[in-house]
Amino acid sequence: MASPLHTQTNSNTSAMNGTSASAADPKSQLSKKPRLHAPTPPLLITPSDILSEFSHHDPSIARINNGSFGCCPSSVLSAQQHLQLQWLQQPDHFYFNQLQSRILQSRNIIKEMVNADHVDEVSIVDNATTAAAIVLQQIAWGFAEGRFHPGDAAVMLHYAYGAVKKSVEAYVTRAGGYVIEVPLPFPVNSVVEIVQEFREALMRGKQNGRRVRLAVIDHVTSMPSVVIPVKELVRICREEGVDQIFVDAAHGIGCVDVDMKQIGADFYTSNLHKWFFCPPSVAFLYCRRSTESSDLHHPVVSHEYGNGLAIESAWIGTRDYSAQLVVPKVLEFINRFEGGIDGIKKRNHEAVVEMGEMLVKAWGTHLGCPPEMCSSMVMVGLPACLGISSDQDTLKLRTYLRDKFSVEVPIYYRAPKDGEVGPVTGYARISYQVYNKVDDYYKFRDATNQLVHNAFTCASLPN
Amino acid sequence: MEHEDPRNGESTHCSSKKPKISSKFISEAEIRGEFSHHQPCMARINNGSFGSCPGSVLAAQRQLQLQFLRQPDAFYFNTLRDGITASRKIIKDLINADHVDEVSLVDNATTAAAIVLQQIGRSFAEGKFQKNDTVLMLHCAFQAVKKSIQAYVTRAGGSAIEVRLPFPVNSEEEIISEFKKSIEKGKSNGRKIRLAIIDHITSMPSVLIPVKELVRICRAEGIDQVFVDAAHAIGSVKVDVKEVGADFYVSNLHKWFFCPPSVAFLYCKNSNVSSDVHHPVVSHEFGNGLPIESAWIGTRDYSSQLVVPAVLEFVNRFEGGIDWIMKRNHDEVVKMGKMLAESWGTNLGSPPKMCAGMLMVGLPSRLCLNSEEDAVRLRSHLRDYYEVEVPLFYQALKDGEEGVRDKDGFITGYARISHQVYNTLEDYEKFRDAINRLVEDGKTCKMLCIE
Repeated sequence: MASPLHTQTNSNTSAMNGTSASAADPKSQLSKKPRLHAPTPPLLITPSDILSEFSHHDPSIARINNGSFGCCPSSVLSAQQHLQLQWLQQPDHFYFNQLQSRILQSRNIIKEMVNADHVDEVSIVDNATTAAAIVLQQIAWGFAEGRFHPGDAAVMLHYAYGAVKKSVEAYVTRAGGYVIEVPLPFPVNSVVEIVQEFREALMRGKQNGRRVRLAVIDHVTSMPSVVIPVKELVRICREEGVDQIFVDAAHGIGCVDVDMKQIGADFYTSNLHKWFFCPPSVAFLYCRRSTESSDLHHPVVSHEYGNGLAIESAWIGTRDYSAQLVVPKVLEFINRFEGGIDGIKKRNHEAVVEMGEMLVKAWGTHLGCPPEMCSSMVMVGLPACLGISSDQDTLKLRTYLRDKFSVEVPIYYRAPKDGEVGPVTGYARISYQVYNKVDDYYKFRDATNQLVHNAFTCASLPN
Repeated sequence: MEHEDPRNGESTHCSSKKPKISSKFISEAEIRGEFSHHQPCMARINNGSFGSCPGSVLAAQRQLQLQFLRQPDAFYFNTLRDGITASRKIIKDLINADHVDEVSLVDNATTAAAIVLQQIGRSFAEGKFQKNDTVLMLHCAFQAVKKSIQAYVTRAGGSAIEVRLPFPVNSEEEIISEFKKSIEKGKSNGRKIRLAIIDHITSMPSVLIPVKELVRICRAEGIDQVFVDAAHAIGSVKVDVKEVGADFYVSNLHKWFFCPPSVAFLYCKNSNVSSDVHHPVVSHEFGNGLPIESAWIGTRDYSSQLVVPAVLEFVNRFEGGIDWIMKRNHDEVVKMGKMLAESWGTNLGSPPKMCAGMLMVGLPSRLCLNSEEDAVRLRSHLRDYYEVEVPLFYQALKDGEEGVRDKDGFITGYARISHQVYNTLEDYEKFRDAINRLVEDGKTCKMLCIE
């Protein structure tokens, strides 16, 4: 059965060979023949356009880790350079006459894309890490100013991002809050498992008359990567009287559906440089209008303090704001793809699942979750014989794959449970983005097969 | 540097006049080339606000940005941290810090202020400081810093006291005297002064402050912590953090030290307090010391922090390096300031020794600059109609005080002129002539059109 990935590959080849691509397969959107009469604007992006847009990527690397640092097409990079140059040419003019209106323009685009009610609800910051600091600092003030009581709780997932956990320690624990982690099973089999654990954790949070002041919920966990049923969890939080809900969707926009009103959280952040083609770095923080949201402040306090988070964030001292200003150009890029961002998401998902299944078949392992619980990343079990037995092993193996096989992929260590026989303890998080090719995954497949063939184990790698 | 001064209108092709042996030093033509991305025809006499960056450093930066984009994981694991450490080591040597652990890189002085003040705020919140313990700052402290005090100190129950510095200022003694008076006030009613924030070079109006002496006074008066906001210092005046003796010292590298936007260093003298400062954007490295925390605050473009070596190369193409540049900038800005004051019949805001690469020059009273809005209006008009970029300052007359006069009235407006290596005499002549023209035409600020 023709798959979007294989069809894309075929059309890549045919485009590169200069032969006309078949328009017969309904899924091969990228290989549509131009019509004989006037083309329908805008012309769809072609495979060779895509190659060119990402020609700055190291061609020797199988870059199957879009999830960590994202990617940015060269047409957007050019637009960014142009803006940087404008600043350098005459910074005062840019500061007084250009900067704020351009940031507002970016915010308006994001507001539309995420279905926010009002542009005031959309602030632009560097990254999700910064957004977390903003939300958590407000919680710290709640404790410091006596609105919250010592021992009031914050709930987060055990698989919350490391930086966010540290931020919770810095701002919540230090201020007197009690932190509860929701253990999640991995591998995971269904959303029911997640919902169950979450409910139980909330119960624990409310013990002894404690209030749960904040729930931090990942939309797509980082390591291991799984799509969390956020809408359901937010609903449960509301039922159980959780004060505020913060969805950490670092991998959100361009990866999963991001509809603020549907999801219903108080705060929602997503990086734009991961899956939304912005240069490093830029993220949005959505804050539903309420009393709490008027008490959010950017931690780097500048002239605009007190004028609302969005305005505060638009000037935090002299720096390069150009990454925040290219969102219109990114939208142009995205709309060259059939179906725009939704089309890209759908095809990325289908492709990564296909590649994941190809790999687990080749290695005799399994995926870390069912296909419907992943987005454009999926966890793929690595052969147990590789002997991944610690976090350190994953780093060593990852480096080895990079240096010896030119494969870039992050690896996760899952400690075996008692009684497990021959468990899979290592999972690779593969990503799929528009620049990826099936060869990238074959390269990874073959590298791993070779390691297995050579009876390689992580123990053999130097520290 | 003995090259012909282009201001004299003579040939600027120095290479034809110089012996080969000194061609290893940068020429006037090369300087022009390095700043050829600046908007031509603009008299850019405001290096103080946003700084400047030579083309060769921008090229080095672009290379680093490209390296990251090409293979970000490899860059993150193999290049980034070492690059930041290399930059920190260079800065440690430049500022005479004892140990590289005392040097952190952050985005700008505004970020550094948040770091220091958040720590003060925590001490109030955690009961280490009493309600109404005080933070002392200059009245003309940078607005962002004042807001930061509001956000972190006042909100947490602390109080703030401002030192009113005279302007125009005539001597360092005036500053020292006001400072001492404010400390007395701050300590009245048994309050403790927990932090003094002292600008090394104030922003508006711009004056070089005798920080070493003020820090000494702070120590003598038992003030807990001293934070020197030296946003303009490095590349502008000599920076010796041990001599200055403060607990915290921050300076932007993108203002006068040729880095691209944006990067600053925050020096934290090793102490009990310095282990409790944290970057407010908390990431994986929380708890590993401020320099390490600051070296990773999530995915972003760190390239401006990595080009310090390239900047050093640029600066050392000038004979005498940064010391020569600083002296030249100072001498020239004083010369230009005097030229303007003489032409307009006005004054300088401070004696020459109380300025570095920036100087306040009185504007003719006939322009009637009588409000902040007037200053903004005139500044925009100069930008849009005369191609002059220069920030302006409104100095309200104080009741009962003798203002400074020119032949027509009180001087209430000042221009803050800067001099950096790319500036030429024409820049200041353009400004001189613009103001003279406005005065001749009988224009006041309120009459001026802006785009």
